[in-house]
Amino acid sequence: MLTVWISENTARLRLVAQISAALVALAGCAHYRTDRSPGTIQVDIETSPTSTDPRFATDATSSRINELIFDSLVKTDRNGQFVGHLADRIERPSPTEIVFHLKHGVRFSDGRELTARDVIFTYDSIRAPESMSAKRAGIEELKSIDAPDDYTVVMTTAHPYAPALELATEGIVPAGTSLPSKGTAAAPIGSGPFQMVGYARDEAARLERNPYSPYPSGAPRSILFKIVPDPTVRALELAEGVCDFSGNNIEYDVLPWLGSHRFLEVSRTPGTTYKYLSFNFRDPRLRDLRVRRAIAYAIDRNTIVNTILRGTGRVATGMLSPENWAYEGNVTTYFYDPTIARQLLDQAGYAAGSNGMRGLRFEYKTTPEGARLGEVFQAMLQRVGIALTIRTLDFATYYADIQAGSFDLTSLQWVGINDPNSYYMVFDSKKTPPHGQNRGYYSNPAMDRLVEAGMSTVDPAARKKIYGKVQQLAAGELPYVSLWWVDNVAVMNRRLVGFDAYPNGSFRSLATMTLSSPGGGGGEPSQ
Amino acid sequence: MESRRSDPVINYAVRRLIALVPVALGVATLTFATIHLVPGDPVVAMLGETAAPADIVGMRHQLGLDRPLLVQYAAYLGGLAVGDLGESISYRKPVSRLIAERFPATIELAAAGMLVAVLLAFPLGIIAGSNPGGAGDLGAMGFAIVGISIPHIYLGPLLMILFSLDLRWLPLTGRGGLEHLVLPAVTLGTALAAILARMLRQSLIRVRESDYMRTALGKGLSARAALVRHGLKNALTSVVTIIGLQMGALLSGTLITEIIFSWPGIGRLLISAIGARDYPVVEGCVLTFAMTYVIVNMAADFVYAIVDPRVRIS
Amino acid sequence: MRNPSLAIGVTIVAAIVIAAILGPMLFRADPLSIDLANTLAGPSRAHPFGCDALGRDVLARVLYGARLSLSISTVVVAISLVVGSLIGATAALSGGRIDNLVMRGVDIVLAFPGILLAIALAAILGPGLIDLAIALTAMGWTGYARIVRGEVLSLRERDYVLAAESLGASRSRLLMRHLIPGVVGPLAVQTTFGIGGIIGAEAALSFLGLGAPPPTPSWGNMLDAGRAFLLVAPHLTTAPGLAIGLSILGFNLLGDGIAQKAGHRA
Repeated sequence: MLTVWISENTARLRLVAQISAALVALAGCAHYRTDRSPGTIQVDIETSPTSTDPRFATDATSSRINELIFDSLVKTDRNGQFVGHLADRIERPSPTEIVFHLKHGVRFSDGRELTARDVIFTYDSIRAPESMSAKRAGIEELKSIDAPDDYTVVMTTAHPYAPALELATEGIVPAGTSLPSKGTAAAPIGSGPFQMVGYARDEAARLERNPYSPYPSGAPRSILFKIVPDPTVRALELAEGVCDFSGNNIEYDVLPWLGSHRFLEVSRTPGTTYKYLSFNFRDPRLRDLRVRRAIAYAIDRNTIVNTILRGTGRVATGMLSPENWAYEGNVTTYFYDPTIARQLLDQAGYAAGSNGMRGLRFEYKTTPEGARLGEVFQAMLQRVGIALTIRTLDFATYYADIQAGSFDLTSLQWVGINDPNSYYMVFDSKKTPPHGQNRGYYSNPAMDRLVEAGMSTVDPAARKKIYGKVQQLAAGELPYVSLWWVDNVAVMNRRLVGFDAYPNGSFRSLATMTLSSPGGGGGEPSQ
Repeated sequence: MESRRSDPVINYAVRRLIALVPVALGVATLTFATIHLVPGDPVVAMLGETAAPADIVGMRHQLGLDRPLLVQYAAYLGGLAVGDLGESISYRKPVSRLIAERFPATIELAAAGMLVAVLLAFPLGIIAGSNPGGAGDLGAMGFAIVGISIPHIYLGPLLMILFSLDLRWLPLTGRGGLEHLVLPAVTLGTALAAILARMLRQSLIRVRESDYMRTALGKGLSARAALVRHGLKNALTSVVTIIGLQMGALLSGTLITEIIFSWPGIGRLLISAIGARDYPVVEGCVLTFAMTYVIVNMAADFVYAIVDPRVRIS
Repeated sequence: MRNPSLAIGVTIVAAIVIAAILGPMLFRADPLSIDLANTLAGPSRAHPFGCDALGRDVLARVLYGARLSLSISTVVVAISLVVGSLIGATAALSGGRIDNLVMRGVDIVLAFPGILLAIALAAILGPGLIDLAIALTAMGWTGYARIVRGEVLSLRERDYVLAAESLGASRSRLLMRHLIPGVVGPLAVQTTFGIGGIIGAEAALSFLGLGAPPPTPSWGNMLDAGRAFLLVAPHLTTAPGLAIGLSILGFNLLGDGIAQKAGHRA
């Protein structure tokens, strides 16, 4: 029967065979991606940057891309110290004034020279109320900014402001750049090593060299930031040589598998990124220090770091990591001890029922990626009698909720902590949303006094003492439970040479790395 | 002859289109009821109990939930009549635009799924039906029953592991060229293929024992050829019928397959809108799915009516 | 073998029911206790199906997931059966406008393809097992309504029923004596396929995050959690996936078998 059928349908069968062969060939082609032009590197990122305008972007992805496009007056070096970038000389004539002397000959990617006018314009537009920039609160202390001449910028603060140099980290746009809300689709141009030549939201952003910014020979000529939300696909693209670099967005469990590929390098360096558990102080139960301490004792951070993080982190004692100049290690620490936790809850008046539960129920909000950690907390808190329900939301909704202070418990991270003045932004009672990032509505007059003093004390030794006290107070009072400092993990194709890791996970090094010969990709892991 | 035939068809078409209106109304009302009449305060469910009262009032106003229910219903229907599905809370764009942008992707996936189903079903059904009880029959039907039973949420990842991670033949997720369509279409179409294969087998078996066979044999055709040719011809109407009947499963399967493969269609929009508590988008997507299903069903009815005149008379 | 579907179906379903009931008692691992030292561990003697992303034993979670799936689907199908039958019978007996109204209602519910209605309801109702059951029932009752309505309608016309009625027999007794035998076959088939279908629907809803909330193990949310680890721990997908596939297969075969048996009798 089959033979008859075949003979009656040879023409059709031939067509089917041809189509199948074409499909297989097509599928086979998809495996070896060699269609990238030489001198272009691909970097996979997990979400679209929220803004291509440095005056507005606060999320990590936007900041890291914008850093390659825009320059700022100062930058932090690999030790977290401020060094002049657009400014080649900085003076502090008085505690409320800083004078920046700009380099000559720095050009935007359209050829115009960057002068003090552009700096003034950038800061003015951030500070203008109608621009509604989220960065405005961060530079509140800036009273005025002036340009006595084309290459000098003077910043004046309202009060003596120790972290004044932090004010000088904003990316500079050319004078006259319109606000994003005015509808122009084009991204602002900058004076940095790269310029953005194309951006398709949810797809990719393409950067090419700023023609007026010299670069070492052998360094990449263009960068393709491809948006790949699926972590497995990001790992696959690295393994196939499609993606050349990925920073801090590979799952820890996949790192060993990636590391087993000969042409991939996994770079791990201590980072300043601080992961913490945040409480909502508007809930009276969480205002009880015993409850917060119980939660701190109930979480086995050591084990989490060693297992789920696979050692890619260090248990944290506070917001500042040991690399920070103001770090104080002599603070209350909480070892994992469920017995103490249970005692504290008993003392707080939450007696345990027959099933061990105490009638304490909190809601933990998280993104899908954070749900696993949430379940760990859920299990650990259950052991001491606290019930945690997990509420999973997509990132944008979650972030909006957190910024508005709508949560019981949640865990987040602070990226790029540098000056300890961050304590003011997160713990001062006046700095609740929308004025600052005290999203938990923590209020403690002692803390207020300390962080406000730290902000206005310019003498470094005195400042260090103040922040020592701040860290001790924070560790004792637990507005946050410190979880861990996350290492910076970068996975890159070995054809990229000369990677410099920065503690805040910066991508700056992409501008100066060089490309060796075409390099590997598409092979199988060596084990 | 043509003019006499077109009249009843047009009549039928008009009748069916008119019948569409109450169904559309009912679907819209049920969607509205589901979202607005559920007990408990949806805004508190959305924002959580710790939300500030000002936020709750604001959200309620934003969703128009502070107006009387009938007013909301009237506004809702009025909007639908002109194609206004409201505005998305998270995207700040008209819902209709969001849906229009993603609709082609969903159609592409659903159509590809149907195609795969047909391509898989025919060889399976023929092998099974031309020698019932034989090894081919057992094998093909075993394959079919497994195909119906394996859920998308397992078949998808299974194919991903095999063809994308192990063999690296095909991309893992996302929409792109033809190679991106293969795994999602196979995941989607397998269950339908199994059902179609079983039906084809039945068709062929019936033909074996029918008058057609005797006539064909009388004409001198070999038993096998006659079987296949007439069985398949008969099966054509049944294929259309079954696809029509299974369209619901195909559409909801498309929704799930979009999630598995990060396919940028309406299903994925719906699920992410649920996660973002973007209820205008949720409403719009549910309506779109339901109306698509209704219209496709009607289209299948038309084809049936054109092929089989008896249907038109009823 | 005259009815292989029935035989194989019964075997599989029985095995699953026994595994769900006795399994957790015989295999004593705790499906909820996390063991971070064993995250993503592969199959071993201590953990025959390996461990999940939090070190929980996968076999234990699959067994508890079986309990969840079976209990939810039987409850949902039972409620759908009762509610649907009542609605169908009422519609057929009332006739006229009420019947029309009910059938339009059925049409409208059926206008929502597959689990769409369940998804919409589950999204609004929020997480939780009871809400899940409500959502699943909403989509399932129509089949039973149609079957019962059809049978009651055809019964009304039959001669012996008209005759018995004229002789004074009570309607309800008539229904019981004549309706039940006619309706048992199709309802049994529908129920069996229904359980298989609800098992699949519950898994899909849990997969989408709309079903059983964590840490409750459900085959669906186990598959969802396994997606992030396809590359390094495919066993997280295999175990619950096979469990769902096998369960649905068992009920499908059983349904086929019953249909065959009922077909032979009629």
